[in-house]
Amino acid sequence: MDFLLNQEQLAWQEKARKFAREEIAPMSLERDAILDPFDAFDWEIIKKGSKLGFRTAVVSKEEGGHGIDFVTQAIVMTELAKADSAISKTFSQCWKWSHLIAAVCNEDQKERFLKPFLTDDTFVFGFGATEPNGGSDNRMPPGDVKSGLRLAGVIDGDDMVLNGDKAFIANGSIAKLFFIYVRTDPTVPIAQGTTLVMVPRDTPGFRHGKVFNKSGWRFYQNAELIFEDARIPMTNLVGEVNGALRRREGEVGGDIFGDLELTANGLGICDAACDKAITLVRERVQGGVPLKDQQLIQLKIGRMKMLTEALRSYAMRVAWEHDQEIHSTHAGLAMNLATDTIQEVAELGMEIFDRAGLPMDRGIDKLVRDTFIWSHLAGDTVQRLKVARRELSQAQFQLI
Amino acid sequence: MYDLRLSEDQLAIRDMVRDFVAKDVFPVSTMPDRLEPFDVPLAMDLVDAAAELGLRTLALSEDAGGAGADTLTCCIVAEELAAGDVDIASVLATTAALGGLLFNQLMNEEQRDRFITAFVEDARYHLALADREADMDTALGVDYYRDTGNRIGVATTARQNDNGEWVVNGIKTRIANAPVAKLFAVLVDTGSGSGILLIPSDTAGLTVSEVERDGGWYVGSCGDVAFKDCTVSGDNMLGAGAVDALSGPGCDFGLPQNQAINLGVGRAAFEAATEYSGVRIQGGRRIVEHQAIGAKLAEVLVNLETTRSAIWQAAWAADNPDGEPAGNFPPLPRAMISQIVTAEKIYRATKDAAECFGAMGVMRDMPLQKYIHISRVFLHTGDGNADTKLRIAEAVAGHSRS
Repeated sequence: MDFLLNQEQLAWQEKARKFAREEIAPMSLERDAILDPFDAFDWEIIKKGSKLGFRTAVVSKEEGGHGIDFVTQAIVMTELAKADSAISKTFSQCWKWSHLIAAVCNEDQKERFLKPFLTDDTFVFGFGATEPNGGSDNRMPPGDVKSGLRLAGVIDGDDMVLNGDKAFIANGSIAKLFFIYVRTDPTVPIAQGTTLVMVPRDTPGFRHGKVFNKSGWRFYQNAELIFEDARIPMTNLVGEVNGALRRREGEVGGDIFGDLELTANGLGICDAACDKAITLVRERVQGGVPLKDQQLIQLKIGRMKMLTEALRSYAMRVAWEHDQEIHSTHAGLAMNLATDTIQEVAELGMEIFDRAGLPMDRGIDKLVRDTFIWSHLAGDTVQRLKVARRELSQAQFQLI
Repeated sequence: MYDLRLSEDQLAIRDMVRDFVAKDVFPVSTMPDRLEPFDVPLAMDLVDAAAELGLRTLALSEDAGGAGADTLTCCIVAEELAAGDVDIASVLATTAALGGLLFNQLMNEEQRDRFITAFVEDARYHLALADREADMDTALGVDYYRDTGNRIGVATTARQNDNGEWVVNGIKTRIANAPVAKLFAVLVDTGSGSGILLIPSDTAGLTVSEVERDGGWYVGSCGDVAFKDCTVSGDNMLGAGAVDALSGPGCDFGLPQNQAINLGVGRAAFEAATEYSGVRIQGGRRIVEHQAIGAKLAEVLVNLETTRSAIWQAAWAADNPDGEPAGNFPPLPRAMISQIVTAEKIYRATKDAAECFGAMGVMRDMPLQKYIHISRVFLHTGDGNADTKLRIAEAVAGHSRS
């Protein structure tokens, strides 16, 4: 078993670390403090990162990207997230959909969408499933006709006409292309009646509405999407009509990548918390003695590092599995674990900063706020139940 | 006889405040602009309305014109107000507690006569305890079972001039109620020890600057107070015992009320989550009907009620100093125990309640993220639970600290 990184992986790690330290870290807190959620976003950092390859990193070399493997992806996401979790997520959101394009888009679609994505530093993807009446119901459909997404898609000649809205959509206010789940058959449950379509930003009848003002992940844009007789050509479909939620074996992208993404990103937050805490306890003095010499502080630092390294091992193992095309419950388990771990680590970090007479450190406060996002994305009940049910449905007990 | 029933008076006051909160406070406090961590102005009109109900002078003796409420009753009121708006609860609880202790006990007759009329009659007469300073080392930390002699104490000085007046110099930081206080009780170094000096806010040489919300890391009203050759009468010093009563290492003053405010915030989160879970349909039924959510709500309630027990025991102990339950000797440090219980359990409770709301649990135009943030502020205000545990250890192992 070899835990060493190869030269290419080390090079990407170094590149990501440098970009994170020199470009992201200096602007992260200031962005987080901006009150307006749309203004919290900044194109300059995205363009800089794009020029270094972070936006297009997973598109294959043949198609014009960098073709980095999953282990490298995990490492890069962690390094960027250490400086700012939301900014790291903005880049990796592009990878999520690069995987899907590679897997299921046809040549025409790649020509129309993949090519401009590769050359335009401001081309990011969005994805729309959640609606006001359905978040959990889309992720774990109860199986009845009423539950789940309702955005209507009606085929009209060579087009599909969309009516309805989506909520909380990632990159909703800034993406140039959206992958949208549409209810093309409302007479059957969503698992049988959903189609995945690509909706360019400039589609007539399509616009973004409210930008959501979140307590954490403030740089990351989540918005309402509004469809009013929005018309897209049938050549924008991904896969079959009504085939979007049918499970495809071996397919990477969507949920599977997403589990690793949230684990690796969260790990970056842990690294940031450990760094901040260790720096503080070496510098701050209480009663004439550095904090690091106190037992309770030592116990906390020890626990923070222990949890962080355990999460790192799991994240790397999941990444390795993806590279081996092994599909297991580990991705989901790691993501669930990340929720608990990153909150405990960040909160221990905050405890270390406790000091009467001083305001709480803004940086550690941001880390803690960012970690709570995982509670509705990665470690809420439904995300845990899905993984547990997957475990329970395994035909045989697996030894690894 | 162990009796958990509240008195008629306690129930009446609780219901009165609850009605006030439901009608007048809640509709204002849940507006999106009040849910941001920055720039939330104190709703002074609500503080005034609550003052009209007698909540500003709650603990002041009935003889002097207050309601004569004990600590437990003050906790009940604080919880009800906080379930509506944490800031008004904090301002009123601070003034009420200080008003009780200063006027009922610590002031001598001459001091009381000088200040009581204004305190009772001016609806905007608030009080503040100016104790902490930026460099002060209040944490026990390395001095646990030791005395390194390295800890930085009070730096604000008070020296008597030739007229016997006290001349004060120094800066107090992050003082609760400073921007609204008309009278300060100031912890000073007199040269021969510590003392508490009464200083009216309009005394020359006293300047208050309101602390920026800086991401919302305080509740209520908060300011820095600077003293530059600030001079007050020689009769303004409180007697011996005031320092220990208001601010010493074993001091419980105001703790149960503060904890009750945190409990109120947790309760508001629980009530919101329970209501929402009873209407939100996912997975084919109201989400309360799913085991995972039902169990989660139950855990929140368990945490709230455990907290309430701990706080109310601490409050009762404060009101009954000779009545340590179960005959413990030395008496248990109940307010410190409830400090830890409250801070940890309410934080857990607000997070669990917010999770029931999905993505809405993190949206700044909804109250859940604010409840989480406030409970985080309580968890990390002061020197933290870790330090409190050291104090508890010293207290129960009989370590005495001069």
